Amino acid sequence: MWRAEVDGLRLRFHLAGINDQNFLMRDEETGSYWQQITGAAISGPLAGRRLTLVASDELTFATWKAEEPQGTVLREIAADTSLYAPKDWDVQMLKAPTVIAYPEYGLAPRELMLGLHGFGASRAFRYDALLKDKLIQDHLGSEPVLLVVAQDGHSARAFRRRIPGFPAVPDFYRVLPGQSASPAALLMDSATGSEWNFQGCALSGKSRGLCLERVESIKDYWFDWRHFNPATTVYREKRN
Amino acid sequence: MKTTTPGCRFLLYLVPCLLASFLLLVYPVYVIRPFRAQGVQELSVALAVIRYRAPFMVASAAAAFVALVWYWRRERRWFRRAVSAAGALAVVAMGLASRVNIYELMFHPLGPPAFMAAGQSKLDGDEMVIAIHVGPIARAYPIRNISYYHIVNDLVDGVPIAATY
Repeated sequence: MWRAEVDGLRLRFHLAGINDQNFLMRDEETGSYWQQITGAAISGPLAGRRLTLVASDELTFATWKAEEPQGTVLREIAADTSLYAPKDWDVQMLKAPTVIAYPEYGLAPRELMLGLHGFGASRAFRYDALLKDKLIQDHLGSEPVLLVVAQDGHSARAFRRRIPGFPAVPDFYRVLPGQSASPAALLMDSATGSEWNFQGCALSGKSRGLCLERVESIKDYWFDWRHFNPATTVYREKRN
Repeated sequence: MKTTTPGCRFLLYLVPCLLASFLLLVYPVYVIRPFRAQGVQELSVALAVIRYRAPFMVASAAAAFVALVWYWRRERRWFRRAVSAAGALAVVAMGLASRVNIYELMFHPLGPPAFMAAGQSKLDGDEMVIAIHVGPIARAYPIRNISYYHIVNDLVDGVPIAATY
């Protein structure tokens, strides 16, 4: 998701090609070409400029609607619905060939990852592992981070693992369904004993009303993430 | 002294126009195609060709047309006239084809997007959406839809957004 303006000039983009299996966009206003995954202009009058990332989540509709009941959803175009991806598109995509591969870390090219950017670093987490563990505490660069899966079992977010006003870096624990009086409670922290929801906000305890800082994350195939984030590291799952 | 025939002179003008138009049209299509790794240099050249080729395509078509008119004034045989016209038309056709965005032929662009209230949507609860929150506005873009269009040019609380997937 990108803020579609540079120096106050609004840009309207068109699909314009592909580069190493990530698509290119061209803006109508200057004719510059932009790489979709990086938001960087690679050719044209704006070459070298970058779009500003807009924070976004990839969530189930149910989870999003529960959080944003007043929100709005993109309407389908009736004439195009037969062209939309089928329900199992993500399974079918796993079979699509890739032209680049990065076999280090033993990851398949289309392994789904949750990629994090921030604090001068980029790091990738195997999405299946995150969905299985539901909670990962790690570091991004030198900053402690927290990745958490919602009650729906499919939506994930990343946060900076620091509670505003509390210097100690807390550990977080998953709250099981039925363990809390609040159905929205997902986590508890070790520093303040507060319960936290999927939006990273404390529902109870000393941190009540405070929210964790979100960390920019994107769900992407390993080959694509690695290709455009060459300095990325990869989280190694703990083996039992 | 042997003189060049009108047909040969016409070909001397037409063939370079055909070759130039063909290369300018086909090179970017060859480089920028799915399931192929694009090298940095060749991509840069291909994009530059796309950006700067229009005047050369116009000049090539104009030259082919002028050559055709010149040739028709000297050639009365209908078959040779027809073949020469086809050659000139091919140059013009390649020029017109270079204006076509084949990616937007494959994936229709979405016009101004329309939205409905979350409560009115019939999406299944497990459908995945890309969600943003800009100012007071919360918006969701179903992935199965947006993955077809690739880009939705939107305006959210006065902020221009390119929703991409």
